[in-house]
Amino acid sequence: MKNLQLTQQDGIAILVFDRPNSSANIFDAATLVETQQAIETVAADASIKALIIRSAKSSIFIAGADIPSLSNASPGDLSSLIDLGHAVFNQIADLKIPTVAAIHGACLGGGYEIALACDWRIATEHKSTKIGLPETQLGILPAWGGTTRLSRLLTLPKALPLILAGKTLNAGAAKRKGLIDVAVHPAHLLNVAKEFTKKGKRKEVPHTLVHNLASVKMIESTARKDLMNKTQGLYPAPLKALEVACQSVSQPLQAGFKLEKDAIITLASKAETKHLIGLFLESEKAKKQRIPGMDGHKIQSPVIIGSGIMGAGITYWLSSRGYSVLMQDIDDQALAKGMHRIHSQYQQAQVRHIISLTEAHAGMDRIYASSQPVNLMKKDLIIEAAVEALPLKQKIFTDLSQRCREDCILATNTSALPIQSLAESIKNPERVVGLHFFNPVHRMPLVEIVRAPSTSDATLSTALQFVQKIGKTPVIVKDSPGFLVNRVLVPYLLEACKLFANGMDPKAIDQAMLEFGMPMGPLRLLDEVGLDVGKHVAETLIAAYSDRMSLPPMMESMIEQGCLGRKVGKGFYVYGKEEPEPNPQALQLQKSSGQIPKNSAEFLAELMSNEAARCLDEGIVESAEAIDLAMVLGTGYAPFRGGPLHYADESKLIRPKFFKDAPPIRMAG
Amino acid sequence: MHTKLVIVAGIRTPFTRMSTDLAHLTASDLGKQAVSSLLAHTSLDPEQIDEVIMGCVGQPADSANIARIIALRSGVPERVPASTVNRNCASGIESILSAHQKMVAGMGECFIVGGCESMSNYPLIYRNSAIEHFTELAQARSLKDRLVALSHFRPHDFSPLLGLQLGLSDPVSGLNMGETAEVLARDFELSREEQDAFALRSHERAIAAQALTQQEIAPIYTDERAVLSDNGLRPDSSLEKLGKLQTLFDKKTGSVTAGNASQITDGAVALLVTSEAKASELGIEPLGYLKGYAVTGCDPKRMGIGPVQAIAAANKKTGYQLNDADVIEINEAFAAQVLAVLKALKDPKYATKAGLEAPLGEITAEQLNPRGGAIALGHPVGATGARLVLSALKQLQASKRKRALVSVCIGGGQGTALWLER
Repeated sequence: MKNLQLTQQDGIAILVFDRPNSSANIFDAATLVETQQAIETVAADASIKALIIRSAKSSIFIAGADIPSLSNASPGDLSSLIDLGHAVFNQIADLKIPTVAAIHGACLGGGYEIALACDWRIATEHKSTKIGLPETQLGILPAWGGTTRLSRLLTLPKALPLILAGKTLNAGAAKRKGLIDVAVHPAHLLNVAKEFTKKGKRKEVPHTLVHNLASVKMIESTARKDLMNKTQGLYPAPLKALEVACQSVSQPLQAGFKLEKDAIITLASKAETKHLIGLFLESEKAKKQRIPGMDGHKIQSPVIIGSGIMGAGITYWLSSRGYSVLMQDIDDQALAKGMHRIHSQYQQAQVRHIISLTEAHAGMDRIYASSQPVNLMKKDLIIEAAVEALPLKQKIFTDLSQRCREDCILATNTSALPIQSLAESIKNPERVVGLHFFNPVHRMPLVEIVRAPSTSDATLSTALQFVQKIGKTPVIVKDSPGFLVNRVLVPYLLEACKLFANGMDPKAIDQAMLEFGMPMGPLRLLDEVGLDVGKHVAETLIAAYSDRMSLPPMMESMIEQGCLGRKVGKGFYVYGKEEPEPNPQALQLQKSSGQIPKNSAEFLAELMSNEAARCLDEGIVESAEAIDLAMVLGTGYAPFRGGPLHYADESKLIRPKFFKDAPPIRMAG
Repeated sequence: MHTKLVIVAGIRTPFTRMSTDLAHLTASDLGKQAVSSLLAHTSLDPEQIDEVIMGCVGQPADSANIARIIALRSGVPERVPASTVNRNCASGIESILSAHQKMVAGMGECFIVGGCESMSNYPLIYRNSAIEHFTELAQARSLKDRLVALSHFRPHDFSPLLGLQLGLSDPVSGLNMGETAEVLARDFELSREEQDAFALRSHERAIAAQALTQQEIAPIYTDERAVLSDNGLRPDSSLEKLGKLQTLFDKKTGSVTAGNASQITDGAVALLVTSEAKASELGIEPLGYLKGYAVTGCDPKRMGIGPVQAIAAANKKTGYQLNDADVIEINEAFAAQVLAVLKALKDPKYATKAGLEAPLGEITAEQLNPRGGAIALGHPVGATGARLVLSALKQLQASKRKRALVSVCIGGGQGTALWLER
């Protein structure tokens, strides 16, 4: 067999997944068929007393189904693939001998579903071990028995949060939540697995008390309400998964599997699902992207200039990824504040069990903060995150370029200033590049890598691989005002501000965009960013695109009156202990009878789509897919819509279309 | 064979009074800050280091071999060994001497040395009687046993011993450090006024030199604040104010007060010391090098006189006289103790009291502690020795002079002295 080996040790069969020429194991039809043959061999051999399933890979158990083939499958093919998976996993569950999944590395989706079909699950306490059912994040649901089996194993109240959110857990958390039976050191995995075979078959616990009709109804309605709150009902997959999970607990297993299959076939044909899968594949591509013919340098010793929100945010992120970071600022008080901010972030991460206390201490120890002109001769990357003022940044670059090696990469985190004008201020401008992180750094996955005309391929390649190494998703953009994300976002924010000026209720504006699928309304977003900061970024863009962008006088008036946003407690809203309410001071500035479009969400969304289309035309970013991914990762643009260019296609805003249609789907049967 | 130890660079944390700005940091936090600062300022590749040696007198219970903890926390590679040295108040110097001896023995050419002390965090210690009772309680199995064990506790079990007080006492002579200073004040006929005047001079000089001293310091950003400089200096000090302070160790006839003794302080120092070859390979202009040194013993009851014999021995080794020194740093454990040393060096009558056959000469006011001393700056016992070396060399650098003598008295009855050159 190609994808797996079956061996025997002391009467125990060991099924080892080992996909050839790959670092990952996945479930495609061929692998499932081989698994079936192996299980049949085991079932037929009376000398075999137990079965252990494991992987030969160093960091992956089984990563799940093959997503590209899943997304291209016709409904008929999908249906047979689901049937095949159910059949194989049921054969495992029906074996008369004890079965153990010995999990080391990523055990996701189908990978965890085969583990669920075993009696016992053992996983390694290792950073590569991640366990869970992330299907709903791709717009589908666990349909190889995962939805049905996990609900029965843990009970609905414990299984639903895992299935609906699609979160993956490390071994410790998986043990606490009951997804596995024990977490062990990798060295003991096989021995403990063998020990577990002696426990015999697992006895099923019926959970009749929790799963009676009345309580299931209660659980379902609470979970549905929670989902609607979180997703506005825009994501069909978790809703469908909820339905299947709640219906299946009171029915025979086979009926549950049938529900899973019907649900996944329905979901697979939905535009939302295609968009989510498309984004997933595009982001996987971005994480592996390379500059052709270039092999970047490995960054060893980064420096951050500036200890404000962005400087401290980037410093925290790098140190939490294991880098020793030097953080510099000319202002001692700012450094103290920055270090305090970083310390709080480590504390939060520790409170939320993301890291241990020891790891938090080690992370702080990797940071050295200094206002003194320390030696930079061994540094290989400097990221400037100082105040957004070109003369200041030019001065910093000139100073840095004299204090560091000639091949040290000089990056700027500017969100709008032209990189080229910084490059020109120093010797060896080919080493200057933009690394635009988004706020808050630890939560925003996108980094815009800005290529100035003078940026060399070698610099770009090093920057690209660095961004990938620190676990962020890169998008390469041209050095042009606002780069991509801010350029697309600014006209949307400015026009939202004008709608407000024309008398529209701020809550109505924000609610419309929440219903559209944005994570936050545009006025709330402006408040979060700060109107003064927003104005600063907007001005760069307005200067470049005055034909279609202008600063709303409302914004100026609000800034004059000190309504700067959340940081001062008032902007479009007033912020206190309770839910933010519209700011009466700002409402007074409104005109009563300005023009308001009939459908404000459509109007505002189209602004983003149009600007995104211009960016594609101008070659700011290479592909429409990359633009959509960047907007989703950089702004939280409604993922189920696929991004602003997908939205343009679907709303027939711009023709010709940006994306080819997927092959037409005909419903089976 | 390498014989010449070069002091390439050095840096320290601010020295802050006990229970003030840095009190929430542990000794290893402070040491880590100093070593990280040294690495950042020199850009030394930690792979180059052969060993990290740190002085620490009151090693915290949770930091056995604190030098190793500091090294690892500062990003020094795991394969590089580390050891902690303790020669009481001279531990910071001992780290330098230890590096020299290792270098001569062929055990390395590149060392990070220094010292650290968090006197704020000296522990409170349970009495032995209490420990016995706690052990009994822990071993009790039944409820009855537990109640019986509880009944054995006595009130004094809960009155802890002060780690700081124990650390500053000498169990052999039965005196604490302040009492040894009183012995010297008596033997060497030192008045309260003389001592107070010396203390005032320490503050005045430290304040005048504060901008220069600041160059030894890397700030610490902690607890939302920037701790930028030493905080023991008293611009408002005066003979009158010093004169009003209570004597601490001999209420009736004594003369030693908190004002004319060194301050109890938190702080750390790190120095990069290497062979001559390594220093030129690193390409950093060195601060200076170690010319010669001696460590000697004396009467524990008169531990403060320790520098006299040590200086005599170091002079003999190097052939230098007191007047060869452009700068002399004698640690100000107590004003009385420094004044006793000066008297013993100069005056035949007192020289014999310190065990000298003849006086060595006079140390001038210009030579001695030009930037103030531990009375103003504080005395974090494990770190002080390294600070004196750093300060002496920085002074030579600033004045473009040649030679310095550093000496420290040591609790338990010892003295150490070293000659430095640039």
